[in-house]
Amino acid sequence: MLTLAIPSKGRLKDNCNAWFASAGVTMEQTVGARGYRASFAGFPDVEVMLLSASEIASSLLAGDIHLGITGEDLLREEAPELTGRMHLIKPLGFGFADVVVAVSGYWIDVSTMADLDDVCAAYAATHRRRLRVATKYAQLTRSFFAQARISDYRIVPSAGATEGAPAAGTAEVIVDITTTGATLKDNGLKILDDGVILKSQAQLAASLTADWGPDVRTSCEALLSKLDPASPLYATLAKQLP
Amino acid sequence: MAAFPYYDTPAIDALNSQAVTLLKLFGEKGYACEEPSVQQPAEIFLDRSGEEIRRRTFTLMDPSGRELCLRPDLTIPICRQAVQEGRKFPARIAYNGLVFRHQPGEPHRPTQFFQAGVELLGLEDKAVGETEILTLTIEALRAAGLNDFSLRIGDLALFGALVDALALPTQWRARLKRHFWRAGYVETLLYWLGHGDGKAKLPGTRAEIEELLDARADAPMAGRSREEIIARAMDRAAEAAALHLDPAVADAIAKLLDISGPADDSLARIRELLKTAGINLDPQLAAMDARLATLKTLGVDPARVQFTAHFGRNMEYYTGFVFELWARDKEGPVQIAGGGRYDSMMEMLGAKKTVSAIGVALRTERVLAAKTFAGVA
Repeated sequence: MLTLAIPSKGRLKDNCNAWFASAGVTMEQTVGARGYRASFAGFPDVEVMLLSASEIASSLLAGDIHLGITGEDLLREEAPELTGRMHLIKPLGFGFADVVVAVSGYWIDVSTMADLDDVCAAYAATHRRRLRVATKYAQLTRSFFAQARISDYRIVPSAGATEGAPAAGTAEVIVDITTTGATLKDNGLKILDDGVILKSQAQLAASLTADWGPDVRTSCEALLSKLDPASPLYATLAKQLP
Repeated sequence: MAAFPYYDTPAIDALNSQAVTLLKLFGEKGYACEEPSVQQPAEIFLDRSGEEIRRRTFTLMDPSGRELCLRPDLTIPICRQAVQEGRKFPARIAYNGLVFRHQPGEPHRPTQFFQAGVELLGLEDKAVGETEILTLTIEALRAAGLNDFSLRIGDLALFGALVDALALPTQWRARLKRHFWRAGYVETLLYWLGHGDGKAKLPGTRAEIEELLDARADAPMAGRSREEIIARAMDRAAEAAALHLDPAVADAIAKLLDISGPADDSLARIRELLKTAGINLDPQLAAMDARLATLKTLGVDPARVQFTAHFGRNMEYYTGFVFELWARDKEGPVQIAGGGRYDSMMEMLGAKKTVSAIGVALRTERVLAAKTFAGVA
């Protein structure tokens, strides 16, 4: 049985349904209207699971599901090194959002990562502690800051409302996801000129560590060619499978 | 070496007997053994060591929700204790114990290993301190039975002094020094110095800056004072105007950073380059000469002492002389000891003034493996 996980709620779920419908795939929810299992008409060997967007990323990494649709931000955060673990089959053209580095608009002297580097070092010297970066994207932040050669900072894990951290005094800088930048602006924050870590959108992704038996491969090929007959999605995926 | 090492009886016996030898030697030289707790409050490492160490530090939550870590080194907790106790200086402290490091992407490396080492805190005469620590390091390896090793040395202060001798704005000097230990990046910075880094121009007068800040009074200050921001904004505007480096000087620095080889040759080449660039670093070079003389006195073959201008340590807290000792085990070259000067640490940990500090840590399991290999070969 091929398992495919899609987001269980919100706009990502609606967009997924619209995409399936446009490909002529009808989803039937099997366990009541609010159930968390579903199936596709005409694909008896495909099990559809409705999970939270972050659970989909971690289930793909763990190999608990074969396919999943979720934000690329969550996939890259879960698995900084995708090779051998996940394959991004197709960007879906919805769920657009950027993961960005943002600082207070009051910091008029900071507009680039190089400025932030100077300020991190000066802050550590003046305040005798590292500047704090609030984020739920610890991995993405670490590798981006390493690329920008910044080391004088520390990450403060944030579960929600990250944009409020600088005003609340729990962190000086944030790394967060934004679609229009309006929430950041409302909180007096600005995105650094070279502070876009990832331009994310929803991705159809495959786990490379799941159990890919011959039946599963057959079901996957049938489903992918139905969802996108024009592209050799399965052929590309098959090359990655162990 | 496995990620989760299991020490069998012969391994324990060998480690214990080597530790006794090392601690006895340290004790004779005035370094009494101390040991901080394996668990440490996480902040002292996470605030002092930078994200690179944080990435490799095991953190855990105690049942009350306090964030702890397994010590990734012994230097920081030992220094912290010395600051908190108000220890009399100079203080000489030895240690022998396990440290814990996560090895992301390198599952074959052990996540815990033994270190034996010494810290010399608050000795004013730096040259004397360096001679003492270098001598003790070499004597310790020989006492442990390892005679076949080579050294790699460098000096972060040399590069610092070089940068200070350049006609550059303060922030650029700080930036070059901060990134010294990152191969390749300093060269990029030097390129920027010649061609500009494409930063937007900012207004430079205090009145203009204050006006900008007043217009943003709704935005959070986010931990920095108004004065801090004004000062840096003024510096940044001023530096844009002053940013230029003579291409001949930039070229000399790039060549200098590239120098690596037997220490005597390397230093001679550095002297030549500095002469061309018209920069005087005699005190720093004399300090390096003195260290080499110490090594010669100790009977270390000069051909086995490499000087690398670009040499920095990945622990990020070294400030001056740095050194590594290398040997071979059955898998190839291994670093068996590393140390150096870290003069800003004690102040970072709360000391009222700068305290001179230098130390070394021996990777005792690797020393044993190198000895075994030397015995077999």
